[in-house]
Amino acid sequence: MSFHIEAITVLLNGLQQGAIYILLAVGLSIILGTLKFVNFAHGALYLIGTYAGLLIALEVNLTSGQLQAWGFGQLGLGLGYIPALLIVPFVVFVVGLAMERWVVEPFKNRPDTDQILVTFGLAIIVQELFRAFFGSSSLPFSQPSWAQGPPQVPFLAAIPISSWRYYVIGITAVLVLIVYLLVEFTDFGLVVRAGTRDPEMVELLGIRLSRPYIVVFGIGAALAGVAGVVGGPLNPVNPTIGNEILVPAFLTVVIGGVGSIAGAVLGGVLFGVTQAVLVATYSAWAQVGLYAIAAIVLLVRPQGLLGEAEVAP
Amino acid sequence: MSDEPAAAADGETGSSFADTVGIWMPRGDELRVMTATAVVLAVFPFVFSRMPVVSDLLQGYQSLATLILIWGIFALGFDLLLGYTGLLSFGHAAFWGGAAYAAGVFSQHVSGSPILMVLAGTVFAVLLAWFLGFLSLRRGGIYFAILTLAFAQMMFYMSSSPLAFITGGENGFTGVETAELFGLFPLESELPLVLETLLGTWLYAFVAVIALLCVALGYRILHSPYGMVFRAIRENEQRAEFVGLNVWRYRLMSFIISGFFAGVAGSLFVIHGTYVPLSSLYWTTSGEVVIMTVLGGTGSLFGPVVGAGVYLYVENIVSGGHPFEFVAPFWHLILGLVFVVTIWVFPRGIWGFFRDVRDYVTGGED
Repeated sequence: MSFHIEAITVLLNGLQQGAIYILLAVGLSIILGTLKFVNFAHGALYLIGTYAGLLIALEVNLTSGQLQAWGFGQLGLGLGYIPALLIVPFVVFVVGLAMERWVVEPFKNRPDTDQILVTFGLAIIVQELFRAFFGSSSLPFSQPSWAQGPPQVPFLAAIPISSWRYYVIGITAVLVLIVYLLVEFTDFGLVVRAGTRDPEMVELLGIRLSRPYIVVFGIGAALAGVAGVVGGPLNPVNPTIGNEILVPAFLTVVIGGVGSIAGAVLGGVLFGVTQAVLVATYSAWAQVGLYAIAAIVLLVRPQGLLGEAEVAP
Repeated sequence: MSDEPAAAADGETGSSFADTVGIWMPRGDELRVMTATAVVLAVFPFVFSRMPVVSDLLQGYQSLATLILIWGIFALGFDLLLGYTGLLSFGHAAFWGGAAYAAGVFSQHVSGSPILMVLAGTVFAVLLAWFLGFLSLRRGGIYFAILTLAFAQMMFYMSSSPLAFITGGENGFTGVETAELFGLFPLESELPLVLETLLGTWLYAFVAVIALLCVALGYRILHSPYGMVFRAIRENEQRAEFVGLNVWRYRLMSFIISGFFAGVAGSLFVIHGTYVPLSSLYWTTSGEVVIMTVLGGTGSLFGPVVGAGVYLYVENIVSGGHPFEFVAPFWHLILGLVFVVTIWVFPRGIWGFFRDVRDYVTGGED
């Protein structure tokens, strides 16, 4: 394999990993930017997305957990991957709406630390519920058969990357673009952005903010759900995946700049590519590299790469 | 302050001597609190693991009693940061696990004396807390939780592969060699006479003495003018700043102090277990101490210790089955539910709840 092909492989792998981070980070970032709410349960939404996707797309043989004990050893609709990709965002969107209504709203006037704590607790509950029902052993979530080999396109066929990874990158690009256009160029986005600047003034002008806010939370949740579906087939599926993805997702938000969609994209690409390059070269340092980058960015630009400097410290 | 002129009349040396002693004298309620703590620490292992009827009901055992104290120290220090200064760190696993590794490596290469191990681990944790605190406090509020979390994870990944030649990587650190206490008493041997019934092993006695010192230190800090500043910052950061206090510096110090407690506890943890699992650096360990502290009650000295006891009890006894077969597989889920309910309904935790009950019964107000 020539050096070119190897370099492109690493780069594409990085972009794909970055895409997962981006999907999670954009959701976290718009929620943090508008609602000022820190959602430690974002990993749990990813977890819900993965399991929902798995159960819609395939039929699964459970090997442990309560459902198996109750006789539901074989579970899943087996509809295929496309229906999963279409249904899961709505499922997680609804979960997000419910969460905004019954968790975010009651904690709006509580201290930041309480918000973090309660979402952290919810993340544990979700994880443990999945563990109780579906067992803690990893479930197989294979990539769809039509997306396993390299795409049969003249140039890309030579690169040993499954076409599923291209789909991940493509889906992410489309969704992030949609969210960007929604926030920047629609009336809905205008209200949301105005609410971020000065919620009191917006409400005084007679615009109710609670409705756009609940939708923003739902969109953020749905993005996490999509991340779960597209990211699920790339890694083993077990109840701890939500916890594992949460920290890099948060870091992506912080180094990109809170509330900035472009920042989340930049941060995600930076993280994904760095990780892929390190895995290919000094694999022992692959994870540490992410945190080292984050530390350097924060030392040089505490507000994040594309974040606006805060007025108050 | 009023006795200063009198002391000065005795001459320079007398004054400085009286001052030196005076600084260390217990004041206020301290003596009462310390005595009560000492009594509880002395009877706890007996009641928990050896008392005829009670211990059968509780199913407790000696080693768990020691572990509860160790985590209690950790949670106590954590509460200095969360409950008093109002900063939520999700990265205290770095100090707990870091101190455990440092103490373990120290025992292998330098000395296995338990006291020196605790010193080594604590020094390491304090230096680390200084460094990480400096980085994490660059952004206030919500970012603090995320940044501490991130840097602690960095420590986790450091010890999992690049530093695996020191830490043992995935397998954890196994080369711990603990020596006898003061070169005389093996830690796992039993205490003489009546102490054996009460305290059990030398290890428990060692941990209990350190726990007592930690409670004293915590009480002292919280009732000093310095500790008052922590609370002032929690209540109103801006006002504290306007009064002329350097909020950033006090926050860093509060972080370092809680790192100190985490270091003491982490070192004791390695002495207790003679093994450091890699998971002691993972962020769920930070999550555990958060849960313990909140469950027990933030903003109190003993609440977090109670929380540590409850958490470890559920983790080790309830999860074990008999007489809890029905809920045993769901112990973590139950803890999560109780945790969320606590934040939602009783933000002051178990300790605060009992305080409210006490105030209600006696009709007194806090």
